[in-house]
Formats: sequence, C-alpha cells, structure tokens
Amino acid sequence: MENSRFKQTGYLLLFYLRRDWLLIVGWLIAIVGLMGGAAAKFDNLYGTHKAITAIATTLKTPAMVALFGPFTAKEPYTAAIIYASEMVVFMGLFFAIMNIYFAVKNTRAEEDNGTLELIRAHAVGQLSPLTATVLELILINLIVGILAAGSLEFAQMTGANSLGSWLFGLALAVFGMLFGTLALLMAQLASNARGATSLSYLVLGLFFIARMLTDVKNPDYTWFTVFGLIEKLAVYSSNDWLPVDYMLFLTIVFGAVALIMNTHRDVTSGLLPSRPGRKTASFFLANPFSLVLRLERTSLVIWLCSSFVLGISYGSIFGNIGNLIKTNPAIAKLMGTAAVEAGNRNLILNFAATLSVIFAVIATIPAQITLLKINNDEQRGWLEQVHARSVSRFKLFFSYVIVALFYQAACLFLALLGMGLAGVNTNDVVSLGRFFRAFAGYLPILLVISGITTLCVALLPRWQKIVWILPIYGLFSMYFGNLLNLPQWAKRVTPYGWVNRVPLEAIHWGNVLLFLCLALGLWLLSYLLYASRDLVEN
Amino acid sequence: MEENVLEVSKLQKNFGKFKALKKITFEIKKGEVFGFIGPNGAGKSTTIRILLGILRASGGQAKIFGQDVWREAVGVHKKLAYVPGDVYLWPNLSGGEIIDLFLKLNQQKHTVKTDELIKQFELDPTKKARTYSKGNRQKVALIAAFSTDAAFYIFDEPTSGLDPLMEEVFQRNVLQLKQQGKSILLSSHILSEVEKMCDRIGIIRDGQIIETGTLAEMRHLTRTMITVVTKLPLGQVAQLPGVHHFKQELSAQNENRATFAVDSEQIGSVMAQLATYEIKTLQSTPPTLEDLFLRYYQKKEEDRHGE
Repeated sequence: MENSRFKQTGYLLLFYLRRDWLLIVGWLIAIVGLMGGAAAKFDNLYGTHKAITAIATTLKTPAMVALFGPFTAKEPYTAAIIYASEMVVFMGLFFAIMNIYFAVKNTRAEEDNGTLELIRAHAVGQLSPLTATVLELILINLIVGILAAGSLEFAQMTGANSLGSWLFGLALAVFGMLFGTLALLMAQLASNARGATSLSYLVLGLFFIARMLTDVKNPDYTWFTVFGLIEKLAVYSSNDWLPVDYMLFLTIVFGAVALIMNTHRDVTSGLLPSRPGRKTASFFLANPFSLVLRLERTSLVIWLCSSFVLGISYGSIFGNIGNLIKTNPAIAKLMGTAAVEAGNRNLILNFAATLSVIFAVIATIPAQITLLKINNDEQRGWLEQVHARSVSRFKLFFSYVIVALFYQAACLFLALLGMGLAGVNTNDVVSLGRFFRAFAGYLPILLVISGITTLCVALLPRWQKIVWILPIYGLFSMYFGNLLNLPQWAKRVTPYGWVNRVPLEAIHWGNVLLFLCLALGLWLLSYLLYASRDLVEN
Repeated sequence: MEENVLEVSKLQKNFGKFKALKKITFEIKKGEVFGFIGPNGAGKSTTIRILLGILRASGGQAKIFGQDVWREAVGVHKKLAYVPGDVYLWPNLSGGEIIDLFLKLNQQKHTVKTDELIKQFELDPTKKARTYSKGNRQKVALIAAFSTDAAFYIFDEPTSGLDPLMEEVFQRNVLQLKQQGKSILLSSHILSEVEKMCDRIGIIRDGQIIETGTLAEMRHLTRTMITVVTKLPLGQVAQLPGVHHFKQELSAQNENRATFAVDSEQIGSVMAQLATYEIKTLQSTPPTLEDLFLRYYQKKEEDRHGE
C-alpha cells in the first residue's frame, strides 16, 4: 500500500496528540471538573423532597425550558434527574465548542500558516492529515466522555445509576464528534480558518435557536434541530439510547462528506467561490480606522444580524412565558386580574434580565476577537508596513478599540431591540422602552471588560488569550449561579455580576458613571503601556 | 555641505539576556545608497525595526532627518518608504487596494507612476492577497514604496522572492531614485546585489558593525573565483601575487584547465598574465558574502600574528 491515501495517519495522530496534549488536558479538566463538581454538590442542594419539587416546578416554566430544555422526567424526581436536565444543554454546548476549536485548529488553521503544505510534501497520504484529525477528535471526545461518566459514577447522586452516567458521558462524546465533523465540513467550504470557525458557530447558533423555539412551542419538533437530540436522552429516568444512534448517523454523514470534499479541492482553497477584488481602493479605505472596519465588514454584518435574530427568537417566546394562567392556573385563579398582570409582567422582566446577561456576554465575543487582533494581526506581519507609514500607534490602537466598542454596543442594542420588538408583539404588559434599561445597565460594564482586554493586549501579549475567561466564566455564573446556589462572591467576581437585574430593576446611574470612568482609565493606561513597548514580531 | 539622513550611534537592543545589537554606529549621507549586509540573524532587521519605531532601542541613539526615530516616528515616516523582507498582506484585500491604502496612509495618491510600476512589475492588482505568491506580495510592497514620494527609502532584503527579470526592474528603479538624489538603505545578504547599486557598505555580524566603507576600500577583503581553460600550459600562474588555492587538472581533451582564487585588488595583473597563455574559456564567480567574512577573519588572525 505504498500509495495509500491514508499513509502515515498513525504517525500524524501521535504528532498531533503530542502537540495538543496541554490544550487537551485543559479542556478535560474544565469539562470533567464542571460535571463532577456540580454532581458532587447536587445532593446537598436538592436533598429534600421540598427542594426537589420546587426546582422541578421552576424547570417546567417556559423561561427555564428556553434556557435548559424541557423537563420531561416523570415523578418521583431525584437529585440526579434534576442534575441531568439542568446540565445537558450547557454541557452539550461546551462539547460542541471544544470540537469546533480542535477541528478548525488542526485543519484549516494548519493550511493557513503553511504547515500542511510541508506535511503533504512528505510521504503522507492525501487524506492522512484530515483522518488523523478525525481520529484525534474521537480520542479526545472518548477520553473526556469516559472521564465525565466516571466522575458522575464517583459522585453517586441520589437517583443516579450506572447506565445513566455512561449514557450521559458517551452521548456527550458522540454529540461532540457530531459538531467536530460538522466543523471539518465547514473547513472544506471556507477558504480560511476564521471563515471556517464563523461558519461553524453560525450553524451551531442556528441549531441552538431552533431547539429553543421548538422546546417552548412544541418539543416534538426538537428532534429535527440536531442540537435538540442531546435533550432527548432522558438520563437517569428512561435512559434512551436512540438519540445517540441518530447522532452517530449524522456524524458519519458529516465526516464522510468532509472527506469527499477534501479530495475534491486543492490545498489552501475553499469550495465556496472567491471573487476577484477591486483594482483600486475605494474612497472610504484611507486610514487605519476604515482599514479595520473594512477588514471586519463581513463578520460585522454576520454578528449584527445574528444578535438581532437571537433577540427576536427569545422575544417571541415572551407570550408563553408571561402567561401565568397557562403555566400555573391554580395560582392564577387565586390572584385577581390586576395581580395576574403584575405577575406576568414580573415573569417577563425577570426572564428579560437573565437574557440581558446572555446578550451582554455574546456582545463581548466579537469585541474581544477584535481587540486581540491588535497583537494577532501584528504577529501575522500585516501591520509592519502600516507602522512604517505616518500612522501613530495612538491611531492604530484606538482604531481597533473603537471598532470593538461599536461591536459591543451594536450587538447588545440589536439583541435587545429584537427581543423588545418580538416581546411587545406577544405580550401587552411590558413596553418596548423598558427593555432598554438593560442597554444602559450593561453597556458600561462591557466597556470595562474591553478595558481589561486592552490591558492584557498591552501588558501580556503572549498570554492575552486568558481574557476569554471573562465571558466563559460570566456565562457559567449566570447560567448556574442560582441553580447551583453559588455564593454571592462567586457571582460578583465577574464584571457581569456588578450590574443589578435590569430591566426588572431601575438603572443604577451612579454605577454607570463609575464604570464609564473606570473603562476610560483602563483604555488610557493600556494605550500608554502599548505605546512604550516593542511591537509583537512575527 | 554633506548632511546625514540617518545617524545611528551606539545603538543597543537586548531581548531579555540576548544582546541583539551591541552598540552599532553608522550614518547615511544625503543622496547615498548604503548597503547593509550581513548573514541571517546578524541584526539587520532588528536595526531596521528600531529605525521604524517598531522596536524600542535599549540604548544609544538613532535619528532620521535629525529626528528621533522613536519619539518623532510619525513625522519621520512622512518622508520615508519601507519594504520588509517578508511581506504579509491582509488576505481578503486585493493588491490594488493595499497599494492605494499604503499611499493614502502617507497622504499620497495613486498616480500615473503607480500604474506604470504595476505594469513594470507585471502585477495583477485585482487578485486577493490570499492568492499571491511570496514574490507577488513583495511586488505589492515595492510598487507602493517606489510610487511614494519620499526622501529616504529602506529596503530589507527586497528581492528574496523575485525572479531575475523582476530583480532587474527593482535595480532599475533604485538607480532612478539614486539619480533623483534620494537616500537609500538597502539591506541584503547577497553581495553582488549590493555591489551593483551601493556607494557605501556596512557589514554587520553578531550585532556588531565590523566594517564600513566604499566597496573599493573593501577590495582587499574579496576574492574572485576563476575557472580558466587555455591553449598554452599555465606555467607560473600559481606563483603570481594574489593567487590562492591554485588547482590544475587535465581534462579529456588534454586541455590546460585550472581553478583558483584571486584577491580582487590583484585581478588586473593576473588577467594580463593569463591572456598571454591564449584563453579558450574563462569563468569568474563573484565573491560571496561568506568568502568576505572568511577573509575578514583570516586577515584579523594574520594581523594578530603579525604583531
């Protein structure tokens, strides 16, 4: 088999594992620690029958269904059943993100920086690099899945059983593979790593919104949303393996299509067509600011549209959420009409407050990506010639910062606008303007977070990636803060936790002012540090 | 009166404990083409990056047009054009867009000269930078630099990705700039390229300038490799002053064939002697940078022994 298309796959796999082992261990600790740690805590949290009934009632409300998926288990409820239904969507999301990361990193990113060309020039099969990546993903998912299952076994929650624990762990592994192969497929379509990552997240986002909508409106359709398969496992109640079969099937289809596409394209080209460019620059492209805007054009459009659609999707379920008569007729009957309306209003605003944090975290992502590019673009050598022109570091630095700020403000605004418009349509108790309290509440804190990011960019160019902890931990503490009964300080440690529950509560203008000053101070300090250091060399 | 465009004095740069530049000093006069040569990793690019304000000097001073390269970078860059050795461009912009952007960043415009240069270098400006080869990316930077109206041009190994035809175009444009009285810093590790264009040369090695001067002043350091076939036996050539490593061989047709090295300063007299043996073919290989270094260090050794 001298000319096998898979020659040296095994050796490449070993090489990839050796190169990535630290990253793999990092993800492993994060995922297994989260699953095992939460599981160890659940018996304390939900030890009494009363606590379990209370949380089960909460999880059945449409707002919670939108966040965590439907609560379908039958009585008697146990701590383990509560655990499974609270964790499954979030862990699924985590596995999907991990897989997209490794899949793109080992395929398209390798192609972009030219290492794939070097590898392919050796006695290596045409499909070997891609196959080695698939094998690596299988190994990563299996190891993390098995250890996660093991940690569940070890935690011994009340009502847990081995079959359920293994189902949970292995189903997550297969679910991860599903999105890993999907990302590999996107890597064949796009012509560069950034494109492949955005396409993958776009599809993930669409699946996620679809599952949320079907969950709230009619859970039977959730089967078709791909992401929703993970919710159909019924872990620790009926332990259903059928969704895993479907996931495996889809994984094989995606993987096979990716392999076929890979054989039909040239290295460093994508299957999506790329158009010829302009002969001369437009009038608009004339300074560092318009350069950054021009480079971000496509991704800006995608982020703004996605934020708006996300807002609309969540807003469209407000009618289901703010309806006490439907969700809890017994209580509604006891209250008067006015009281029911006030109750509905409270439910909606409470949910809107939770969503506002999610929107704020999401608006952070494109801003962070842009700010980290101050060093990343430098490292790619793109800025060397810009520095050699009569462009000050001040102009260049703040060009990135202003574009990042625009991302934050626009994404947050459009998500809230979408939520408000769709929300006003489906309920008549909260006015559109009320939702924008969240804008005034969260924008200043987003500015502070970008200030922290620029500080890392200026001070720790090599380690700047650690700022991703901010949105990741922010999302975690928001999602689980109340359900896991995290102590107050654990919620306050992230800047997102410094904001009160707008739009339910009133805007704290004193804090707004304080955060604005803090953000301004952080930017200026970052600029001074950035302006006095060596630039990152490629 | 001659004024200096560039003045570098006792410039130092440390990366942690590693001393990349150890107090280097040199200057470039107005209207001069200065060749900056040295092997890979000698400190050429580090020096240039300090001159551009991308890196901050750890000690010493560097001034362009009498202005400090770090503190007054923006002012300095208004009258400066630069082409790096490795050109990296935004993959989703076209070559034409990038050339215009670079011009506008210096408050200049796309002119007839720009179009002319695009034609000379045979660049397709509508292609996205993603699809350009190394040479084509270099052309983008060269076109932008040559069509910039500047007083001082810095080229850092500018021809490493160009084919010989394009190298020719590059050299023609540099000579044009020279005729217009512009000052140029040309960094290279190819001695022949520098020889053709430069008035003066600075040699850097291990972060130190080991020699500056005109090429003529450095002739004593260079040797040319000669391969010659003559009709008559080569006789006394081996004993001539300036001839080294003389090797004679008999070829298939019983010709007189020899290879040897000649000190550049003695080449005239050696040639005259060879001519008397009726030359059939003669091949001369210009001295390489390595030869120059080898010779330089040999000479230093000899000097030390002589003392």
